[in-house]
Amino acid sequence: MKNRAILVACLLACMHLSASSQVYLTRNGTIRFFSEAPLENIEALNRQVMSALNTETGEFVFRLPMRSFAFDKALMQEHFNDNFVESHKYPNATFQGVMEGIGDIDFDRPGEISVVVEGELTIKDVSKNIRESGTLHIHEDHLHASAEFIIAPEDYNIRIPTRYARNIAREIEVFVDVNLRPQ
Amino acid sequence: MKTWKIILLIIVAGGLLAAILGYVFVYNKAHRDYERARPDMALSASELYQAFAINEKEAEETFINKVLLIDGTLAGVEQPADDMVVLSFVFAEGFFGGEGVRCTMLPSQHDRALQLSAGDQVVVKGLCTGFTGTDVILEHASFESETIR
Repeated sequence: MKNRAILVACLLACMHLSASSQVYLTRNGTIRFFSEAPLENIEALNRQVMSALNTETGEFVFRLPMRSFAFDKALMQEHFNDNFVESHKYPNATFQGVMEGIGDIDFDRPGEISVVVEGELTIKDVSKNIRESGTLHIHEDHLHASAEFIIAPEDYNIRIPTRYARNIAREIEVFVDVNLRPQ
Repeated sequence: MKTWKIILLIIVAGGLLAAILGYVFVYNKAHRDYERARPDMALSASELYQAFAINEKEAEETFINKVLLIDGTLAGVEQPADDMVVLSFVFAEGFFGGEGVRCTMLPSQHDRALQLSAGDQVVVKGLCTGFTGTDVILEHASFESETIR
């Protein structure tokens, strides 16, 4: 039980819930990545992203099982899990950060707002600070947050063997898409 | 035809055949058919959740990437997207609400899954892909025939 407590604490460490906090959640957000390389394009989709946004403090987190990335080709999926991200050793990726200027957003007024999120993205136990812009759509009954950004596999200790250099891009496009509903 | 030409022809034909076989059976090999896969182990949904809740690291090594056959009482059937149906088993209450096991069903199982409701006893088979901190995730899930009680 101790491990679990630490785990949940890590994910939600910054949520600082108070009675007035409004937290929006999802268990089935999506993260997609795309690699464009000379020999082939590779795309994978993960629909098991757990995410939360505290609209009072701006704290935003997500966590996803790496093995839930689905590829078109089974061989690519095997290489991704076994050789690149080593999902048997590092089963999850996490992000803990803050949506800047959250206090200026009127969540009672439906519309689309550009936002900036800064925080720590952890893949393969390597944590890097990232600061990316995204879009927050305010709907009457839920929030839709989306963002696109680029990561370099080598920054996260993902080593691409030379023989795959023409198959996998040095920079991967990542697309985050979450529909968050009130807790 | 000269001998060297025959040998060359055989080498080229052999290379071509190897390339075609490699493309079809290695590069382009099909994803595993989880509906027909034999379960690696069988346990209750509650036992599966407790294993992760008590010792996540050990449970990851035991269950992730294994086809599991689980049984339990449904807490609900969700449809997070038009093409996604999730069966949930709940064993604890936490920050995210009910925590337990979530099974994302194969498209071929959607109709049957949507007929179920909370309280139904089910037996489901699926690939364990991980633990989100609150839920154990089973994907490509299907009902075992004649296992709905």
